[in-house]
Amino acid sequence: MLEQLAEWVFQIDFLVMIFRITAPILFAALAAVVAEKAAMSNIGLEGTMMLSALFGFLFAYWTQSWLLGVLGAVLVGTLLALMMGFFYLEFKTDIILAGIAVNMLGEGGAIFLLYMFTGLRGNTAKLVSPNILIPTIEIPLIKDIPFLGEILSGHCILTYVAFLLVWLIWLFLYRTPLGLNIRAVGESPEAASSVGVSVKRVKYIAIAMSGALAGLGGAFMSMYYSQGWNQGMVAGRGFIALAAQAMGRGEPVGAMLTSLLFGTAHGLSTKVAGLPNVSSFLVSMIPYAVTILGLFIYAWNRTRKLRKRGIRRLTGI
Amino acid sequence: MLDRRMTQFNILRGAVAIFFALFVAAIFVFLTSESPLESLRYLLIGPLVSVKNGAVSFNMRNMLEVLAAMIPTIFTGLAVCVMFSANQFNLAGEGCVYVGAFVGGLIGVYWDLPPFIHPLVATLVAGVVCAVIMLIPALAKVILGASEMVTSLMLNYVMLYVSMHFLNFHFANRSRGATMTHDFRESARVFQIVPGTSKLSWGFIAALILTVIMWFFMYRTRWGYSIRMIGINESFALYSGMNVAGMIIVSQMIGGMLSGMGGSLEVLGRYNQFLWLSLPGYGWTGITIAILARNNPGAVPLAAFFLAYLNKGCMLMSTKTHVPSEMIDIIQAAIFLFFAAEQFLSGYRQKIVVKTTREELLKQGNADIENGGE
Repeated sequence: MLEQLAEWVFQIDFLVMIFRITAPILFAALAAVVAEKAAMSNIGLEGTMMLSALFGFLFAYWTQSWLLGVLGAVLVGTLLALMMGFFYLEFKTDIILAGIAVNMLGEGGAIFLLYMFTGLRGNTAKLVSPNILIPTIEIPLIKDIPFLGEILSGHCILTYVAFLLVWLIWLFLYRTPLGLNIRAVGESPEAASSVGVSVKRVKYIAIAMSGALAGLGGAFMSMYYSQGWNQGMVAGRGFIALAAQAMGRGEPVGAMLTSLLFGTAHGLSTKVAGLPNVSSFLVSMIPYAVTILGLFIYAWNRTRKLRKRGIRRLTGI
Repeated sequence: MLDRRMTQFNILRGAVAIFFALFVAAIFVFLTSESPLESLRYLLIGPLVSVKNGAVSFNMRNMLEVLAAMIPTIFTGLAVCVMFSANQFNLAGEGCVYVGAFVGGLIGVYWDLPPFIHPLVATLVAGVVCAVIMLIPALAKVILGASEMVTSLMLNYVMLYVSMHFLNFHFANRSRGATMTHDFRESARVFQIVPGTSKLSWGFIAALILTVIMWFFMYRTRWGYSIRMIGINESFALYSGMNVAGMIIVSQMIGGMLSGMGGSLEVLGRYNQFLWLSLPGYGWTGITIAILARNNPGAVPLAAFFLAYLNKGCMLMSTKTHVPSEMIDIIQAAIFLFFAAEQFLSGYRQKIVVKTTREELLKQGNADIENGGE
């Protein structure tokens, strides 16, 4: 069994699959990173992805253009995040509760809105056509390199965007004034506001960016990954992204590495599911269980380091 | 004076929140329904009255069904109240309802116990199992400092899939077309209060009894006080010598236990077998209920009734006028957002505080003048 697993890990189609599975988690994890940098836990990523996936697909269907669809998904993601931001910043709703409300909207609201706009129930299988799915691209030169070329070329455009964004978000957070403001507001809102930074404005921008990134993740899900929108599509990826953010120490590159870890776990689970005498239910559990384990190991490491520096947490342990 | 006006203000604010939510709902009804007024009638008063040939009569059956639907959500609502009171955003109630229902159902099938004792034991065991499961996020929080929120969200999926595994490969009744356990023993059934199809079982009474117990626990015991104090100010609780770590663990275990018990009572009172193949959603409804009840266990039944009523209204609207019943999630999210909004209508609250203080100062001033005159 283990030999079998080791064999898979180095197969080309498996490596290609990992990139595909990781991309939507990575989008959401980056969304969580940006929000968390401004001290906001965006638990609404799950619902945001669900609704932006739906509307991305619908916009693409109405305009028959995948690009407009993706932009529509980003728009819907941003609007939902701004709604969360509005309740959080103007009405002092706890950001976690605002996120739970967005998830409720994503759960049943998406089904309701699908019916409202199209008369369909549960999925959009009837509306799918190749020209509204996000295309894949071959990269010149790289595609001719043996082995590597097959792994790195021929992915969906958004997959490249996801990995490119890791670098862009890092640049944004650490090399631009706005990024600096976001980090300042997250670390010490009082200090930031004392030097004239509008905490509220910066938080609005951060949560809106977070929503836009989740929107890209949603578009990836419905317009490439599962080729159409359906009810159980997002399946906790928004939540896994929160874990990826925490384990990646809230940094873009760390989030990418942990997203890849979860992507690999997910990929392995789909491979194992094909074996005889394996319970598909226990296999489905693997990505979530790996996430919990990863989170514990990360938290344990951090606590140990803090303790070495003589810092104890409030609970006294 | 201020207290009374604040209560009035809170009631007003709740009413405005509900009005906003229903207004949003009405907009969506007008966008989807072919006969919006009829749809709205079913949504708002459908569960209460039935109209036949122009004659309006009280609809007993629908009301009993609304009460029956409150059984699991009162339990999850209480569970969330306790956990959120301690500022523990543990969201695994959803998975615990499922596991509790599964464990309770299995005991109902395989153990041999006298009637009345049987469902009681099944429910208690289900509660204990879920309390133990909740040790995972609770201990991880206290010992490792891992966020209970993320752990519990992942745990929901783990609980679902592990239970599904055992259901499919060990306990499934293969003579049935769909995946389900064997039939519960006759002794394991939770009896119905009212004969008929409403499914209003004694589980409802159990839910009300637990409401009283949990209210007493939260407001009249030392543990309950500690839990609430941790939620208000964790540093204060720690420095005044409370066992913060212990209470964080206890609050989450109680949450798991209540959710598990709710799941068990629900299946033993409503079905003949355990046949859930996905998470039932009662855990999330419990969060809305706790927000509506402002974490006060005493208000949980009222909040549960309100949501069960709206849910039934949505169901009726869906079957009679084809507006999808998932609309309940939109209404619920809207109510949720406005109720959780601390500063919603805060300008008005400020005016009340200022007005009351002025009046009191004036009164005091007058009294001082009178005293000075003597």
